[in-house]
Amino acid sequence: MSQDRPELFADREEWKDVEPLEQYENLTPLAPILYTAEYKDATGYFRAIAKSGEKSPRVLELTEAIIRMNPGHYSAWQYRYETLLAISAPLDVELKLMDELAVKYLKSYQVWHHRRLLVTIMRKPVPELAFITHSFSEDSKNYHTWSYRQWLLAYFNDEEDLWAGELDFVEQMLGQDIRNNSAWHHRFFVVWASGNPCRATILTLFEYDRYVKQSISLAPNNASAWNYLRGVLNHNKVAFSSIAEFVKLYTVPYDDSRKDIVDVDVPPPGPSADLPCAAALEFLADVYEQQGDKDGVEKATELWKSLATEHDTIRVKYWEHRIREALESVQP
Amino acid sequence: MAALEEQKKQLRMTPFDSYPTPTSDVQHETEEILLKHLPGDDDGAQSPFALHKPVHMQFLVKHLIKGFPVRYISQDASQPWLLFWILQAFSCMGVVLDPDNRQRAVEKILACQHPAGGFAGGPGQAAHLLTTYASVCALAIAGKPGPGGGWEDIDRKGIYNFFLSLKQKDGSFLVAHHSEVDVRGIYCLLVVATLLDILTPELIAGTPEFVASCQTYEGGFSNASFPSYDPHNPGKILEGSPRPALGEAHGGYTFCSLASWVLLQPYLKLLPAEQPKPSIDLKALLRWLVLMQGTESELGGFKGRTNKLVDGCYSWWVGGAFGLLEALGVGGLENAKSVSEDVVDQEEEALKGLKIGDGDWVDVEDGLFNSKALQEYLLLAGQAPGGGLRDKPPKNPDVYHTLYCLSGLSAAQHHIYPSTSKCKNLSEAWNPFNERKVDLGVSSEDKDLNAALRREAYAAILSWDEDAARASNYAHIVGGKENRLNATHPITNLTMTHTEGIAKWAYGL
Repeated sequence: MSQDRPELFADREEWKDVEPLEQYENLTPLAPILYTAEYKDATGYFRAIAKSGEKSPRVLELTEAIIRMNPGHYSAWQYRYETLLAISAPLDVELKLMDELAVKYLKSYQVWHHRRLLVTIMRKPVPELAFITHSFSEDSKNYHTWSYRQWLLAYFNDEEDLWAGELDFVEQMLGQDIRNNSAWHHRFFVVWASGNPCRATILTLFEYDRYVKQSISLAPNNASAWNYLRGVLNHNKVAFSSIAEFVKLYTVPYDDSRKDIVDVDVPPPGPSADLPCAAALEFLADVYEQQGDKDGVEKATELWKSLATEHDTIRVKYWEHRIREALESVQP
Repeated sequence: MAALEEQKKQLRMTPFDSYPTPTSDVQHETEEILLKHLPGDDDGAQSPFALHKPVHMQFLVKHLIKGFPVRYISQDASQPWLLFWILQAFSCMGVVLDPDNRQRAVEKILACQHPAGGFAGGPGQAAHLLTTYASVCALAIAGKPGPGGGWEDIDRKGIYNFFLSLKQKDGSFLVAHHSEVDVRGIYCLLVVATLLDILTPELIAGTPEFVASCQTYEGGFSNASFPSYDPHNPGKILEGSPRPALGEAHGGYTFCSLASWVLLQPYLKLLPAEQPKPSIDLKALLRWLVLMQGTESELGGFKGRTNKLVDGCYSWWVGGAFGLLEALGVGGLENAKSVSEDVVDQEEEALKGLKIGDGDWVDVEDGLFNSKALQEYLLLAGQAPGGGLRDKPPKNPDVYHTLYCLSGLSAAQHHIYPSTSKCKNLSEAWNPFNERKVDLGVSSEDKDLNAALRREAYAAILSWDEDAARASNYAHIVGGKENRLNATHPITNLTMTHTEGIAKWAYGL
């Protein structure tokens, strides 16, 4: 029975004892989906099986046929999972099948959730990391895939075999695309937000700072890096003003005279950077606003005005809102 | 042609610092395509900003009556959604289905109701939180009270029990048995519970904490949060573990989280003052939402994640989220502080020179995102020439994008805000002897809190009102009067009328 010539379940000898159920009885439904004969056939048998509650090996065959045609059929997935458990099917075989399906049906919630259910029982998380990494070659920003990786790390919480290589993994992904926001988010998860036990051996905030600053100096107009930077400072309750010197370099056109100065903690932009960059102007305005006095508000207002009129004009309403809010906050 | 070239030159493509990566490559490809949709000299008599309602209607009618082509097999577990998207798109365009087809819609939805409670993706499928929302909303549009109307066939107690069966210890809910936890499910559950008068303290205890935990360092929200587990004790959460968000900030999850948060306010406000309550960072959220709007070279559409592409559906998920912020004190008329003359003068001085285009487009009541640009994105790039709306050119239209583009357009055209006076009136007019029509087995211990929650949840959901002054002219509607769509309730994504209709019936009023 190859996939290229699907046999209807109605034509299979071993299914003769089952009467398939119509989806809609006594009504011609509005907005019908124009099913293929194969899909109609398989789901008719599924409705019958679900009703009778049968949990047997042939149910695995049936549900596999359905999920290959419609990976979003969550009831078939749910029923398949219950059947696997009921008949004590070998889960490593199931996982291998999932390896094949995941590649084809990456965007389906159910493919990843089913995997999560299996791995929870099997408790063999380590090979999953390589599988996930491989999936990223198809789609480096797949939301379910990144979520699944974070779940795996948190649920098994294995310092040596899971967490230990994670920072290198993130830097590899960021090396491929410094603008991959999913990877930046994962970095934040690994280094700051999660209960990662490797944190004790991790470098200090100071050195982390360095990574994102280097990234900014390579490609300043990268919202992901700026959001990460802000996130790190906020998480560690470090004032934005502490890196004002660095940020200022990105609020003006490229300065040729700087090129011989090498300061690892204040990496400057390169000559082909598009400057000034809006995120830097915004950051500097926040530094001034955080001063909390009239002078700060005046300086911030100048920056917000430049954003509204020149550097980030689409957001004029927001920059006005910031001006208004800041003015109101310094009133006696 | 010359004017268009000039305009294009002035529009900055997103800067990439001469450091290309896959993200910047696909970004530029997209901008190249989008810029082709700028209005040109050769548009002729027809306005480039016309909303082609008749062809979109035809697109929807074709799917409703003829049906969906084979590739929609992928949506076979979302049949109530297909109906909801079509019915709400009609409602948005001011079209009412004929009685026969309304009845057929009601019958189809009821066939998806699961005997054990809740609505499924199709007959014989398992019940699911998302399809329960889609079903109830489709019924809100096509159904009515009375025998055969559909509303009375909704098994409210069944839905309530279904909800309870999915509740987790951390306040979250599975979306279906053996399925994932996901904040979309929480949104769907809260809308249904609020509309159908089955919202109880028992149902939502712990849920605000979970929703708040989904906010990421970027300010938007992810699909779920998750703690670390004890590596030596399978299945046991590690004592004192943080519970970070899984997955990055995302437009769809942010809308669902924010709408859930607003729906949870009546409950939070009724809890004792001394009880510690979760909170969300509104300033960071506002910043993230605002940064999701694409620049002029992206025609002002919204994206769903940082460094990803604009997509018409985020017009609702992100563009529509701004209206919700008003319920939390951010933006809008009711939240504008009364300030001294001095401050007004200073503001005017500072904002002088910021008036761009017509003065009409720049005023306090105008909301915090660029609604003119969003409308332009939808009208210039969102409309597929053969009918229906889409993610972006050159993608094909589908019924999902048709609805959410229209919902987003509606949100940009109208200013719907939560009226404190309307809320107060509804709350004060509440009859304390008006008991819930469904027996949910609520314990007598919780009686007072339960009763108060019913009253406040009802008042809150119906307190949204339209800014009358703005509604009385068409200055804020790009393309003029003919483009006007009906106003949309910022939480339910139904019209105000349909929201009111089913809620009033459910609460016995």
